[in-house]
Formats: sequence, C-alpha cells, structure tokens
Amino acid sequence: MILDRIETMFTTVANEPHGSVWTVLFIGFLFGAIIQYTRVDKFEKIAGFAMLRDTVVPKMLFLAIGLASIGLYFLVEAGYASYHIKPLMLGGIVLGGIIFGVAMTIFGKCPGTGPISIAEGRIDVLVGAIGGILGGLVFTLYFDKFKVLMGENLGKPTLLEYFEGHETLTILIFGIGLVIISIMIPLRQEFDEADLEKLKELEESDK
Amino acid sequence: MKRRLSWWQGGILMALLLLFTFSTFGAGRPLGASTYVPYFAGILFDLDPEKYPYLKEVHNAGAWEGVMLLGALLGGFVTSIFITKSFRLSVIPTGWKKYKNNSVVSRLVWSFVSGFLLIIGARLAGGCTSGHFLSGMSQTAISSMIFGGVVLVTLVVTGKIFYKSEANE
Repeated sequence: MILDRIETMFTTVANEPHGSVWTVLFIGFLFGAIIQYTRVDKFEKIAGFAMLRDTVVPKMLFLAIGLASIGLYFLVEAGYASYHIKPLMLGGIVLGGIIFGVAMTIFGKCPGTGPISIAEGRIDVLVGAIGGILGGLVFTLYFDKFKVLMGENLGKPTLLEYFEGHETLTILIFGIGLVIISIMIPLRQEFDEADLEKLKELEESDK
Repeated sequence: MKRRLSWWQGGILMALLLLFTFSTFGAGRPLGASTYVPYFAGILFDLDPEKYPYLKEVHNAGAWEGVMLLGALLGGFVTSIFITKSFRLSVIPTGWKKYKNNSVVSRLVWSFVSGFLLIIGARLAGGCTSGHFLSGMSQTAISSMIFGGVVLVTLVVTGKIFYKSEANE
C-alpha cells in the first residue's frame, strides 16, 4: 500500500508541469547541500539565533531574500517566472507564526532544515520528525476545525501592488534594503565544539 | 578543501536556487518545505485523499515537496559525509547541554512536542521558513512579511524564556 502511494507521489510530479522528477530531485539535492554546507541546520545556529548568540541564519536569509526578490521581479517581467502568492489569512498567519516560532526555538529546527539534520545522524531530530508527522495527521483529521481558526481569506496582497506604477523602484529599494540589513546585522557565531573537534583533526590532516 | 561556507556564500547560492526553482527552466513554482509532512502522514497512515479535504488540497504540492525532500536528504547526507564531515549519531545537541540540560529524556520529549507543534504552526500559517520567508518574502507577499515578523519576535521571546542566559558549567 505504502509503496503504491510513493509511486503515486512520483507519477504526480511527473505529470505536473513543475519540472521533471529529476529536476525536482536536483533542486532538493542542492537545497540539502547548501543548508548542510553552511551548517544552518544546526541547533546552535537556529536555537542560537533565538538566544541572540548566533546571527548566521538571519544574515543568510535576508541576503537570499533581498537578492532573490530583485532577480525574481526581472524574471517575471521577462516572462520566465510567475508569482505564486500565499493568501492572507490573519488568524492562521498570526497564531501559526507564534506556534511555529515557539516550536522552532525549542526544536532548533524548521521543517526544511530538520530532515537535513536527520541526514547527518541527529536522533533527537528524528524523534521530533515523528512528532511532526503526527502533527500533520492531526491537522489533516481536524482540518475543518483548524480552518475556523485560520479566519477569512483576505486575498493575496503584495507590497508591489501598493506602489503601482513604481514597481521597479519599489523592488530595488526592497531588495537592496534587505541586502544592506543582512550586511549590517553584526556577525555572531555559536559553535558546536563537538563539530569543531573533528574539523581540527581534518585540517591537520589536510596539511 | 573548504569545509564550511560563509553566510554570504550560502545566501547567494540560496538566492540562485530559489530563482532556478521559480523559473520556467526549473520548476516554475516556489520552494516550500512543510506541505510534505501532512502528505507523508497521509501515506503512512493510509488515509484516502478522497475522504480528507486537506489531503486533496495538498495532493500536488505535497508530492512535489515529497520528491524535493528526498533529494534534500540525499544532498544533506552526501555533503555531511564528504564535505562537512559532520555525520555522527547524537541525541543531545551541544547547545542544549550548554543552555538547557543534560537529560536525554528532556531533549527527546521536547523534540517530539516541538516537532508536533512546528507542523501545526506551519500548516496553520500556510508555510514555513522556506515557503513564507524565502519564497513568500521574495515575492513581497504581505502574508509572508507578517508571518516573518511574528516568527522573529516569538523566536527571540521564547529563546529568552526557555534557555538559560549563562552556559552551564
């Protein structure tokens, strides 16, 4: 049964116009590799940011968003991409954001970085992922009740709409502003000694 | 060999990956990483998508992210083995020992509970760090900016309350 469903997963992707299965796997591979290579999946980076002891996560996020916002705008203008805005449902966004923020601080992971930590052998994250699957189950089973909490759909507003006629200038200010913020945030790092020990040995052997 | 990338190298690469994913050369859609969880729950508990409206709603997005995630697991694993050399089995993170406690039970119980809440929160908000922060804010979506603001404030407040301000001995 499970195997059938997994097969369905691949055929669903293959039949959709959102890249071949290989393209999607490739995107995932790079996503995992970038997160792993920058170490932002680590507890010390995510929970460390919540304790304001590490700023690599916000610096990297704001830089990526700033650059991508400008690039995406011109891709859309050139017809090579389109916007896919998430609807504004205030109850869901605010309540969900609070629950998400509390959980991310304690877990020291988010749904994207968690699996990459599991891939490098973190047992506690695997236990958290089982909790996550149950969370997904509960949300699916009681979707009608959660939907009430999420509130009214207020459409898909964007910043660009508010500055109609000046979209290019708006996106440049927005993007460059975020890049400047990412540079201005002072760099603080909380290292994991257990991780660094091994690295020191390696650097010795590299020489 | 370079064992770690700096924040700006990572930021540039992540922006390029995001643009590739959005573009018609890549997937022509945003990058997201939390819809796959209820999708996997549906597979593991063998729930019929026809009977559960939410599973029907996430059928396509969940499958896309599910395949993406398999790639991410592989990418993370290969990089941890060959580049960062960080693969090792561990139960309690060093930072947890430093700023919380040394108890395996405490870490595992909190992991389980926070893992559960993480997905409830992400699905209520309709996205996570990837879907809202990276993909949403790059499109200047108001929903994603509000989510980002709420999460940033909650992170710092929870961090202050939940962890010790000084490292354990």
